[in-house]
Amino acid sequence: MSTTNPQSDAQPDDVPRRGRALRTEDTPAAAARSRRLSKARRRVANVAGLMAALVLTGALYSTIAPAHAEEAGASSDADYEAGREIYQNSCITCHGENLEGVDGRGPSLIGVGGAAVYFQVHTGRMPLVRQAEQGPDKPVVFSEEQIDQLITYIQANGGGPAVPSGNLRDGDLALGGELFRLNCASCHNFVGEGGALSSGKYAPSLHDADDLEIYTAMLSGPENMPVFGDNQLTPEEKRSIINYIQTVTEMPDPGGAGIGRIGPVGEGLVIWVVGISALMFGIFWMGTKA
Amino acid sequence: MTTHDTRPGSAGGADTPGPLHGGPDDDYTPEQLAAMSRDDLDRLGARYDGVQVLHVDPGPEPGSALERRYVRQVGAVFMLAGLAAFAFVVVYVGSGWFLPDWEWTIDAGTWSSLFTPLLGLLMGLSLTLVGVGMVLYSKKLLPHETAVQDKHDGSHFDRVTTGATLVSGLHKSGLARRKLITRSLAFMGGGLGLMLLMPLGGLLKNPNTGNPLGRTSWAQGVRLLRDDGTPIRPGDQVPGSLETVFPAVTGGNRESDAATMLIRLRPEQVAVDRPREGQADFGYGDYVAYSKICTHAGCPVSLYEQETSRILCPCHQSQFDITQGAKPIFGPATRALPQLPLALDDEGYFVARSDYIEAVGPTYWNRERI
Amino acid sequence: MARTATAPGAPTTRLGKAAVDFDDRLIVAGPLRRTLNKVFPDHWSFLLGEIALYSFIVLLLSGTYLTFFFDASMREVVYNGSYAPLRGVEMSAAYDSALDLSFDVRGGLFMRQVHHWAALLFVASIILHLLRIFFTGAFRRPRETNWLIGVGLLVLAILEGATGYTLPDDLLSGTGLRIISAIILAIPVIGTWAHFAVFGGDFPGELIIGRFYIVHVLLIPAILLALIAVHMLMLVKQKHTQFPGPGRTEHNVVGNRLFPTFAAKAGGLFFVVFGVIAMLAGLVQINPIWLWGPYNPAQVSAASQPDWYVMFLDGSTRLFPAWDINLPGDYTIPALFWPTLILPGILFTLLALYPMIERKLTGDTAAHHLLQRPRDVPVRTSLGAMAVTFYFWLMISGGNDVIADKFQLSLNAMTWVGRLGLVILPPLVYVITYRICLGLQKHDREVLEHGIETGVIRRLPHGEFIEVHQPLGPVDAHGHGQLAYGGAPVPKKMNQIGGARRAIRGFFTPIEEPTAVELEQRREARGLAAAEDRDLTTSGRPSEGGRPSEGGKPQEPRD
Repeated sequence: MSTTNPQSDAQPDDVPRRGRALRTEDTPAAAARSRRLSKARRRVANVAGLMAALVLTGALYSTIAPAHAEEAGASSDADYEAGREIYQNSCITCHGENLEGVDGRGPSLIGVGGAAVYFQVHTGRMPLVRQAEQGPDKPVVFSEEQIDQLITYIQANGGGPAVPSGNLRDGDLALGGELFRLNCASCHNFVGEGGALSSGKYAPSLHDADDLEIYTAMLSGPENMPVFGDNQLTPEEKRSIINYIQTVTEMPDPGGAGIGRIGPVGEGLVIWVVGISALMFGIFWMGTKA
Repeated sequence: MTTHDTRPGSAGGADTPGPLHGGPDDDYTPEQLAAMSRDDLDRLGARYDGVQVLHVDPGPEPGSALERRYVRQVGAVFMLAGLAAFAFVVVYVGSGWFLPDWEWTIDAGTWSSLFTPLLGLLMGLSLTLVGVGMVLYSKKLLPHETAVQDKHDGSHFDRVTTGATLVSGLHKSGLARRKLITRSLAFMGGGLGLMLLMPLGGLLKNPNTGNPLGRTSWAQGVRLLRDDGTPIRPGDQVPGSLETVFPAVTGGNRESDAATMLIRLRPEQVAVDRPREGQADFGYGDYVAYSKICTHAGCPVSLYEQETSRILCPCHQSQFDITQGAKPIFGPATRALPQLPLALDDEGYFVARSDYIEAVGPTYWNRERI
Repeated sequence: MARTATAPGAPTTRLGKAAVDFDDRLIVAGPLRRTLNKVFPDHWSFLLGEIALYSFIVLLLSGTYLTFFFDASMREVVYNGSYAPLRGVEMSAAYDSALDLSFDVRGGLFMRQVHHWAALLFVASIILHLLRIFFTGAFRRPRETNWLIGVGLLVLAILEGATGYTLPDDLLSGTGLRIISAIILAIPVIGTWAHFAVFGGDFPGELIIGRFYIVHVLLIPAILLALIAVHMLMLVKQKHTQFPGPGRTEHNVVGNRLFPTFAAKAGGLFFVVFGVIAMLAGLVQINPIWLWGPYNPAQVSAASQPDWYVMFLDGSTRLFPAWDINLPGDYTIPALFWPTLILPGILFTLLALYPMIERKLTGDTAAHHLLQRPRDVPVRTSLGAMAVTFYFWLMISGGNDVIADKFQLSLNAMTWVGRLGLVILPPLVYVITYRICLGLQKHDREVLEHGIETGVIRRLPHGEFIEVHQPLGPVDAHGHGQLAYGGAPVPKKMNQIGGARRAIRGFFTPIEEPTAVELEQRREARGLAAAEDRDLTTSGRPSEGGRPSEGGKPQEPRD
């Protein structure tokens, strides 16, 4: 890990889930930095671990409970009905009459949660035009209002990760970078340019993704993307990652044209197509007689 | 002889230069040379170098309109080159003084992201124009001459005389006869060569001492920690997720071979899961843990496709199927990713049951034996 | 001495006197005159090696600058510089200093980019230069030694590039280093020992950046410099080769003297090369290490590639099947060993030994100073084209994931296309190239025998239509040309023999100065053409003639 602990200490303990106390005493990062971890400290760490277990129990409850509450409050009957209507018009063919899924066409939507709906519909991936290796992002079919209604309908059937709200970029930038390189860069490239996966599948570029889309993608793990639940990457950490992605995507390149920011392949192309061509032009011209 | 002794011929005999051997100075007296024009001298010297100027296409007539035009062209190019060079100086020096600050930050103004491009553009322009000016000058204003230079084959005379000198020197040394000396020389040469190479031995280190290649920090009871140092409970991950975990030892998250992928399988994956022989109990519930270090070239593999259960290595595209014991199914990798045996400790956190039972990372000569 | 001082014609100016004083001490006038009078043949392709030389000079200059700031240490530090997204992140001092160089040194980023672009250009121009030497047969006796040195320079340049790529210790270079480590481990028998000797222990250890640094800034540059010096001394000693043409023989060199024409052009080219590098360095961002992040053995990015000149090895590694060889006694020869060590070993050995191989096969042991047109040596040309295809295909495969991503292709399919193409394409290219060479040869002979096609159709009295041909020289009783093919380009358009009635000079025209002989021939040819021309104009030939073929492409070799 490259983030130093002062940094993780600086994060506000806003989410009472898996014992933030651990972070200051038991992290190998701290150990790596100081390069000495005394036995005494280890004992303290054990105690802290116990405390953490207790806090965690509370944390688990507190993360689940609000979700239920929100769900109950939001599902006003009108939205629910409108959502069901949209579902029956656009989704039912592949996902079945009761969201149970249709074999070979679409998965069950029971318990996938509003986050998944938001991601799939808001990026235009759903409704799918045709069955393929991977659903591509397309122009959005539904209006924001319709999407909200659809979310209400799906969320009411089995719950699941809900769509978050508020500022999704207020996390720590450097921590976000570290987490991005550890968890996301392996598929989405160093700064979210996207990359190829096996047999025609791909990790899409994150350039045009808005905050909520990235957040809901992490939360729901669409298609082949692994799921990053809130107990794996805290909401705070997710917001850090989003902050990093959006900051780096939006910042200008200090050294000239970014040529896709994909590294040596683009650079090799440029040296041959631009550099060598320019010089070849030069040496042909040098041979000209006046 | 002392340094004060400046008399000629102090070593005996007259101190006069020896005769010159057929050099050009014998062929041409200074008077003759002085009488020749500069062009003739140039041609004469060239002839001594085996060069003959065949044809000269003189440059534009001095004072002609054509010459004036070319001079203007070349002059303008050099002028522009100088202008660009001075502009470079202005941008370099002036940024942060009378121009906006050059220091680039993620949210700094436009100037700072134009600073490097401007430097490159101006320096590139200036240098390219200098080059263009020089070439233009040679093309338009210099006379074009076509010269032919002779190529000499090796001289038979030189070969014979040099050979004689070498062989006679060798002969006089008597090395061919004095076998003892040649042999001792050979012996000495070998010893000396080896001796000089010996200090390189300092580079050698026994790779088998303590088996650093075959071991990681994982051991029985070592907790699985996240990158931020927190331990993990079975409830923390949702099905279809992957998390990179490290051993709970000092510097564990910096260790090159210890990084491990903790994967929670989806029920569909559990249904088809076929662990490797003898490793059926390495997982814990629907959790499995595999080494993140590719068995091919050591890159971290973690392009996890949760629907196809594949792990893809971004370096050489080896693909591993985690429902088949992370066996390679495509690409250049030959071995499955080693699996870490999992258990829970008293507090309900994931721990390793032991180290990996095989060497982690790229294959090498005696890997199987470690 | 006394004689020079009092001799008539002794210099009277202060500069002249100083020159005489200087020569009194060092006696350089003779050698200097010989150098200034040295004749260099003029052809665009002879400048490719110069581009390599000049980019090397740029590399030395910019590299020296970078060493003032770079700290080749793997000591862990916490970044606290200007680049906010990494502030507070733990990293090696090497990466930290490279970031500082990029963001906190005025013009530092520019110099880093100059260095990196110059490196890419260096290897690219070496390869182009090598191809020119190969396809024109310039490596033949007496230049085999210089060919060997050249191949050595190419290998060293690649190693120099690879070590430089590793130094900043960012996530991309660290991934590369990890693969280098795996390659060293993969050597049979001594792999682990070699790895521990190079890295000072298990990967990555704490020494490797420092070691690569000294190799990169001292060891390899010193050898490169020495070899370049020998390379050029041998060139001067053996004199440059030239293309066949009027007045050119195996025993002379036709061209410009070093001073002033060649010197002005070469100096100009140096500035142009430097200028192009500077422009690229400012306008196109290269290796933005701040985006890559610090190296961490647990992190990686999709599409991690080496710089282009190593990409062919990445490609071979991607394409090679999963074939470990298990030996009795539980020993293994890893699959990685073949594509990363054996393959380049074979490739570079074949390349280095090619002059000897060709000499053996053709039995041609004579000294050659005249170059060959690629078409005249179809086997060599086809072998070369085959090798280039092989190399290029491997290089493409080294970026197959990026190609798959950008063009939405299947990565697995790309791998298979790569594997199959590697087996199928080179022989195919061999056959095609061979056929093209023969076709071009045949056309040359045809033009020599029957003359240039004028495009003028004439109707004979009995109704037959024929095309009028312009013979290139004297013809025999049957109207067949008597000129023999001499290895020089054969004019194939009327304009090339003055058919345009005025010398049309495009932007690019042939570099050769016409020798007296050639001028003579041209006059003759023009006379013939003029005779024909009168005839042609009356038969309705457009008076402006065809556009010159010169536009936009080099004219030597002409076809």
